[in-house]
Amino acid sequence: MHFHVEVRNLCKDYPGKRALIDVSFGVERGEIFALIGPNGAGKTTLLRILDLLDEPSSGTVLFRGAEVDYSIKDRKDLRRGIGMVFQRTVLFNMSTFDNVAYGLKVRGMSEREIREGVKAALELVRLQGFEGRNALALSGGEAQRVALAQALAIEPELLLLDEPTANLDPRNASIIEEVLSRVNREGKTTIIMSTHNVFQAENLAHRIALLNEGKIERIGAFQDIFERPHRFLSEFARLENVFSGFSKATPEGTSIIDVGNGLHIEAAFERSGSVIVHIPPEDIILSTRPIVSSARNTLEGLVVQISDLGSIVKLKVRSNRDFTAQITKRSFNDMKIGLNSKVFLAFKASSVKMI
Amino acid sequence: MSKPKILIAVLIIAIFATGMLIYEQQFLLKPVVMLATTTSTYDSGLLDYLMPKFETKHDTRVRIISAGTGQAMEIAQRGDCDLVLVHCRDLELGFVNGGHGIRRIGIMYNDFVIIGPMSDPAGIRGSSNATEAFAKIARGGGRGDAIFISRADKSGTHMLELSIWKRLGMDPSNKSWASWYLAAGAGMGAVLRMANEKGAYALTDRGTWLSFKSQLANMAVLVQGDKILLNPYAIILVNPERHPHRNYNGAIALAKFMISEEGQGLIANFTKGGERPFMPIARNLELAEALGFPNQRDELSWYDARPQ
Amino acid sequence: MESPFIEEVLSITLLSLRVSGLAVLIGALAGVPIGTILGFKRFRGKRTLMRLMDVALRSFVNTLMGLPPVVVGLVVYLLLSSSGPLGPLRLLYTPTAMILTQLIMVTPIIIGVTMSAVGGVEESIREKALSLGASNWQATWMVLREARMGLLTAIIVAFGAAISEVGGIMMAGGNIRWFTRTLTTAIVTEVELGNFALAISLGIILLTMAFAINLLLTIMQLRGVRG
Repeated sequence: MHFHVEVRNLCKDYPGKRALIDVSFGVERGEIFALIGPNGAGKTTLLRILDLLDEPSSGTVLFRGAEVDYSIKDRKDLRRGIGMVFQRTVLFNMSTFDNVAYGLKVRGMSEREIREGVKAALELVRLQGFEGRNALALSGGEAQRVALAQALAIEPELLLLDEPTANLDPRNASIIEEVLSRVNREGKTTIIMSTHNVFQAENLAHRIALLNEGKIERIGAFQDIFERPHRFLSEFARLENVFSGFSKATPEGTSIIDVGNGLHIEAAFERSGSVIVHIPPEDIILSTRPIVSSARNTLEGLVVQISDLGSIVKLKVRSNRDFTAQITKRSFNDMKIGLNSKVFLAFKASSVKMI
Repeated sequence: MSKPKILIAVLIIAIFATGMLIYEQQFLLKPVVMLATTTSTYDSGLLDYLMPKFETKHDTRVRIISAGTGQAMEIAQRGDCDLVLVHCRDLELGFVNGGHGIRRIGIMYNDFVIIGPMSDPAGIRGSSNATEAFAKIARGGGRGDAIFISRADKSGTHMLELSIWKRLGMDPSNKSWASWYLAAGAGMGAVLRMANEKGAYALTDRGTWLSFKSQLANMAVLVQGDKILLNPYAIILVNPERHPHRNYNGAIALAKFMISEEGQGLIANFTKGGERPFMPIARNLELAEALGFPNQRDELSWYDARPQ
Repeated sequence: MESPFIEEVLSITLLSLRVSGLAVLIGALAGVPIGTILGFKRFRGKRTLMRLMDVALRSFVNTLMGLPPVVVGLVVYLLLSSSGPLGPLRLLYTPTAMILTQLIMVTPIIIGVTMSAVGGVEESIREKALSLGASNWQATWMVLREARMGLLTAIIVAFGAAISEVGGIMMAGGNIRWFTRTLTTAIVTEVELGNFALAISLGIILLTMAFAINLLLTIMQLRGVRG
């Protein structure tokens, strides 16, 4: 048996930069394979090579054991079995229906097949009734779901996704995650996706590859990789609210973790020694007045960065360490927060998760 | 765009292009005589009055290119027309002597007049000596009283103006004249309007003056009747040996029409603004010879001997 | 007004439309593909020589965009003149010569605007189409489709330049009454004759016509925005 997709000794050089260095791995048919790594690790480069948009500088790509020869015909034929969702949502300036139908049209399918294919794909991403809307007028989350429907409409054997939920609000992100696990379960679609979200990888992927500076650092199941702290994780810039530190168990069955810079965090687990913890941004309560609550951790800081993601707003708050908090657009507007506003943060000990 | 839409677009373009070709054919079916002439001749309206009569009679189309005298001669020299109707003796003779044209024959004349402001600061009114009037204008200019506007475009009118300055031994390109001698580089109509605005003197052919007179409230004809102000028009055929593809016979037919009793009569009766700007000379041998057509008799009999 | 006058104005107007319309049509048929090729980033070579040639070509197109019409008219005149290399075609002083003049004038404009329109539609559109299984042709067509606003702008700009141009068609067409006289050259003639009122009327016809056509194209553009 061959791997569905296999790469051997893949290298990709750009002028002045080595984007991929000797990357080798194989992905089984029906497997979900996640690429995790910080920005610039080479995730996008690798996915582009797998979608045959770029050629590797050296090394080989094999589909079902057959080496890709990069002739125009070979590229097109192979690509017809591959769906790709790009990190930056790209849609055509036409109706949602026409966008999703495009892949079917270029395959010369009949009107009826196209209608049915589009209907099924839009149902899958829960965008029934959006057919007539212009795709460029959709919200960020809807647009990314249309992009996913475009890739799904062609019923690909292999689905490539480049950070499909980056910058999406949790509702749209969870719809996409659901769709991915469903097509993998029901259609046996092989999925290779890059993500910066470790929990997404844990929830979805059968296997994970850690990519850093163009090299694969580790490959394996989630537990194998994350059972002990990995040096690499501390460099994990994109994952928010990740801190490494020394944990001390308390008599109450919790732990106090010294994460540096004079900051101590209380966590609901009992552990002594080096740990890496993560606090999900949506678990942090943010206020403009001092917070009196049962939460074990309270901090005070200044807003240093504001990212508007549509219905939600992410705020970077500088305290002893930097924290990212997530609030709705409405409360953001109500609280009249701007850059350098003084805010207070609170989170429960149970929100502090060890990774 | 879908495929049927592209097809429709291509179809429309094709119909459009074919339609245009057919439209063009309609002009190509009739023989064409190409006449190059000067802007002032064309602007007089004489040709628009004469040519339809020739076209009906001969079932021919006359296409008229009007350009500056220099450009008209250049067009003829390159073989881009069949004959020329011009009025600049030196250029005409050069053209014939250079072998570019043949059968130069006098057709008609009009005259030039010196116009100027009613107030006439240079005091030239009533004189019939153009040279003397120019000298007075130059003196007035030197005093700062008078302004002269020149076509400065190498037109027949400009050439005549230069020859008058030359008789006086004066050179308009002289820098000290810049304060009152304005080189416009424009057509006759534009110069007349400028003169009206600035209260300046100018040399103009009577035809253009007549057509603009009503718009030039402050201007009057001050000097006229000098023999050097007479402006004879000649027809010259483009040399068929140089340009064998040209419509030589068509050119002869048109020339014959212009010098025929009928044509000459039409020229004499052409009126503009209540006056008759052109006097026929083709069959007035004495006058023609005096106006610079020494071979008028021979040319006339050559043309008359050609079959219709 | 008497009917021959109306007939003449009509024939002048139709000729203006015919000459400028055909020049822009043919110019678009040639200019859009060339502009597309030049606009595509992937055609830009990696080697220094290729890049130099690319820069030179672009600068050349941009220079041609600013060609003075009279110069184009003179060149066409010299080419088509009986004594010129293309003299035997007997095209001088015909509407065809005028179309040729305006064609030379508008094609660089169409190439230039197409170039930036296609360049502005990101490479991501092409890759997206390819990744959905499109052939190279289909992907290129998709880029053109996405750049359609820019292409329409190219047509509008080119038509505006063509219909209002005088010097070039005067040289190549000769401003022959009933044959090569257009609205603009007729205006020049009427001004020369002192018929300012008539010249202004012709100017208003020219303006109205240009407005009508631009209105049409702009409506198409607005519909295009909605997809």
